[in-house]
Amino acid sequence: MLTKLMKLATVASLAFATATSAQAQDEGVLGEIKARDSLLCTGHNGSYLGFAEVDAQGEWQGFDIEMCRALATAILGSPDKAQIIPISWAQRFPAIQSGDIDVIIKVTGWTMTRDTELGLQYSRPYFIGPFYVMSRSDLGAQSISDLDGGVFCVNAGTTVERVLADYMETNGIEYQPLAFEKGEELRAALYAGRCDAIAGFGPFLSSTRVNAPNPDDFTIIGDVIKLEPEGIVVRQGEDDFLDVINWMVTALLLAEENGITSENVDEIKANPPSATVERLLGVTPGVGTRLGLQDDWAYNVIKTVGNYGQIYDRTIGDGSRYKLPRGLNNLWNNGGLLYPLVLD
Amino acid sequence: MTKLFTSQKFRRTAVQVLFVAVVAMFILATIIVGRTNIADQGIATGFGFLNQTTGWPVSFSLTDVGPRSTYTQVLFAGLLNTMLVGFMTLIFATVLGLLLALMRISSNSLMKLVGTTYVEVFRNVPVILQVFFWYAILTHFPGPRQAYSLADMAFFSNRGLMLPAPSLSGLDVAIFLIGCVAIGFGLKSFKPKKSGLRLPLAILAAVALFGVLLLTGREADVPLWSVPELKGLRFVGGVSLKPEFSALLIGLTLFGASYIGEIIRGGLISVDKGKLEAGSALGMSPFQINRYIRIPLAFRAMLPSLSNQYIWLMKGTTVGIAIGYPDYFAIVSTSINQSGQTMELLALLMGGFIVVNYSIGFAMNLLNTRLKLKGRS
Repeated sequence: MLTKLMKLATVASLAFATATSAQAQDEGVLGEIKARDSLLCTGHNGSYLGFAEVDAQGEWQGFDIEMCRALATAILGSPDKAQIIPISWAQRFPAIQSGDIDVIIKVTGWTMTRDTELGLQYSRPYFIGPFYVMSRSDLGAQSISDLDGGVFCVNAGTTVERVLADYMETNGIEYQPLAFEKGEELRAALYAGRCDAIAGFGPFLSSTRVNAPNPDDFTIIGDVIKLEPEGIVVRQGEDDFLDVINWMVTALLLAEENGITSENVDEIKANPPSATVERLLGVTPGVGTRLGLQDDWAYNVIKTVGNYGQIYDRTIGDGSRYKLPRGLNNLWNNGGLLYPLVLD
Repeated sequence: MTKLFTSQKFRRTAVQVLFVAVVAMFILATIIVGRTNIADQGIATGFGFLNQTTGWPVSFSLTDVGPRSTYTQVLFAGLLNTMLVGFMTLIFATVLGLLLALMRISSNSLMKLVGTTYVEVFRNVPVILQVFFWYAILTHFPGPRQAYSLADMAFFSNRGLMLPAPSLSGLDVAIFLIGCVAIGFGLKSFKPKKSGLRLPLAILAAVALFGVLLLTGREADVPLWSVPELKGLRFVGGVSLKPEFSALLIGLTLFGASYIGEIIRGGLISVDKGKLEAGSALGMSPFQINRYIRIPLAFRAMLPSLSNQYIWLMKGTTVGIAIGYPDYFAIVSTSINQSGQTMELLALLMGGFIVVNYSIGFAMNLLNTRLKLKGRS
């Protein structure tokens, strides 16, 4: 009883402190997060390799987890204040509606049904979910058309089956389809050499590759056969929170665009090359107060979590064991689809 | 009124009527509840989707189907795939089963040992494991570029067995098969003076038909025989036996043969020993005893269990889904995922198997009627 009272008192005083220190009175989930002093994010029930997985030390790792840490740093000043709740694909929508989690960062495709009928709101896409083809390295294929006539294995009854058929017909590539009911059988057939290539969602291909007896036997080809934009999801009506999320993603991209990394952020802050970078790193005020955050939030995020490219490399890109090509998730000036908003 | 209830006839009829009524109401209620629930979820019902195109390809089919085929065409292709592998299994398993049975009843103890070991091994391992086993073996051979070749005409790799084939269209093959059946019936009524002439004549007629089809049925610049040739990542030309098909056929045949062998053995030893002894007393050779006494009598005894086993094997083709063979079950399963018409497709699945298996049962019954001892009922 006593501990409960004390807890309540702490929460109340914290809420009071935050409320008075912040420029504007926070309402809704942003206020709750600050009062609780932790951000409740989606994890996964098990491991979704590369995006939300538990490492050998029992720590959550992955691209989505890092995004959550960046958001926690932006709002609360420290990546440790992100609390990861293990949750299944199907549970994520009921869980956010009931308030068990604050935000869904779980490669969630932006679909009209979810946006309109489930009472949810999407941030601007933070990740372009690509469907790729992965082929045997010894075939030396540089593009999908090099695999003309090959055997392509897919999971039976999935959208990939149709997406691949569409892509091949559109591009006039002949192929021999082979569909397996279970992922295990698909993998076994690929590893045995029954298939020249498999098609699927990028992260699925990466995990298939990593789990192969020899991962270097397989190469993910850069051609995207289909893409699905993934957004960060909040409850309908949480406009302030959504602003924070969108500008957090912009800060990560802007940092990469300007070559600011977690290593050189201090140097650049001491000697900013442009007015935009000055604003981003909080040298000149404005970036925080307008969102109800500290002015150095973006600096903290870059310092502790890194820029977008660093997060990508570390979790799913070349610096990780998955080696998922950057492809469309590159910045606009590197041939990708991502771009920061204008920080004025 | 009491008189009515004391009447045994009335009571019996009433119970039967009541029973049928309850069952009918139960079925009706299930259908109504099901329909309302589905309608509440906003799912379209009915068989209209059968005319829509599927949008997904089928890895192996006898007919020409692709992403632009309708569900009807794709489901039909699946049914044909099931029947193809099913009937081939029945034929091979019966031949192998007969051999096993003869081995097990032979007086040679080595033959007996081999037969018994085979039956015990293949009968006691689940069929799906056997199919997985053969599939794993077939897919672990070298790839198409390192394929084993026989005089550059036939190739064997983990993509299957590629064989040269005559350049016949599907229509030609159908004409040829129908022609062969017609020749068979035609020769039945044709009685040459020397009975030994019938078979050579039949073969000659079939070869002639084949030759005519081969020479006329193709485009002018197509060679007579299509030989497989490595082109890029695959073989073009000829015919290919894909590993999925082969593994399923091998697995089911070896498994089915152990059961069929036991059924045949049971039939053979059920023949009264006295009848066989009577045969040898009459001076018949062992072959004649087998041909005229043992096998006809044994056949009658084993026919009922054999039909059961045939139907079971036909249903056993559904394990093909596990190794990526697009049988009827696999096609229905994918269709359910893609179209969402679960109830309708499950009904079609059951309907398809009932038609195929009922046909087998019907044919076996017909055979039984013709073979059973006349004059007894």
